Amino acid sequence: MDLYSFIIGNKESIKLIYALIIIFICALIVTRSDRLFRLSEHNGIRYFRNAFLFYGLGFAFRYFLDYPLIKLGLYSQLWFLTEIFFEFFLVMGGFFLLYSLIWTRLESIDEKSSLLSGKIAIFYAMSIVIILMDFLWPGFNFMFLVQTTLFFVLSALSYSNYRKNGSRRKFPKFYFIAMLLGLFAWILNTLASFFFSWNQAVMINVYAFNLIFFLLFLYGVIRVTKT
Amino acid sequence: MGKRRERLEVIKDILRSIMETRNIKPTRLLYASNLSPQMFKDYVNELLSKEFIINQMNGKNKTFALTKKGVAFLEQYKAIEEFVENFGL
Repeated sequence: MDLYSFIIGNKESIKLIYALIIIFICALIVTRSDRLFRLSEHNGIRYFRNAFLFYGLGFAFRYFLDYPLIKLGLYSQLWFLTEIFFEFFLVMGGFFLLYSLIWTRLESIDEKSSLLSGKIAIFYAMSIVIILMDFLWPGFNFMFLVQTTLFFVLSALSYSNYRKNGSRRKFPKFYFIAMLLGLFAWILNTLASFFFSWNQAVMINVYAFNLIFFLLFLYGVIRVTKT
Repeated sequence: MGKRRERLEVIKDILRSIMETRNIKPTRLLYASNLSPQMFKDYVNELLSKEFIINQMNGKNKTFALTKKGVAFLEQYKAIEEFVENFGL
């Protein structure tokens, strides 16, 4: 049995393990970056932490909200909640990651709250609009479009950071690679949705890219915060 | 991003000046920080609001002293700087 057949044959269990690994990675990144944020009160670190907090919550809702709904007998009426929460947290995670790279250009004074400021409210509003559009035209098409664009911008910004700090620091190169992987994953996701009827072999590649994306960030965070 | 690194460095320099002198008067700290009076005021207000430093009365003189949080910032400065630069924050 080849690897693809094995994964497809054990799809549900592997999805659960995949979600648990990503949630665990996000939890590690959030706790480590939160420790540095509390020491420094640096807003960039705070937005970075929020990005992975939202990613972690997104995966938790995507894979673990179904079970209580089924247990309570509410799944047939409330199945869409899983997708709404997943989409909201995933899109917001991407926005927070973007904002962590550009906040110095947009904030002249430090915002008191990183979750309830006026600028972040714009991201909440955008996320809700994306969810509504995907609800009215069923599927994740608008999310795919926004995330692909977002990761294209993130790739450009991280490349610029790599050019600036790459000679003195090791991680900007990996950050740029992680963004490219994220971009490829979203492009593949879009293609799988539009042209390949969610072909499972394509989706396995998407999952693999996503996993490497999170592992790269975990590597970077552990390396910097190892003391 | 570069601008932010400078900011981190300024904060480190101010905190280090306070640590080295223990209780430092505002005028001496202003000279040591090498900032304009307005910028100095902004930084000091920020450091006070984030509880990195506190105001103390030393006889008739007002001085600044480091808090535990300020000391911890200096101890972890390298890691903070590395984090900010590596992740482009």
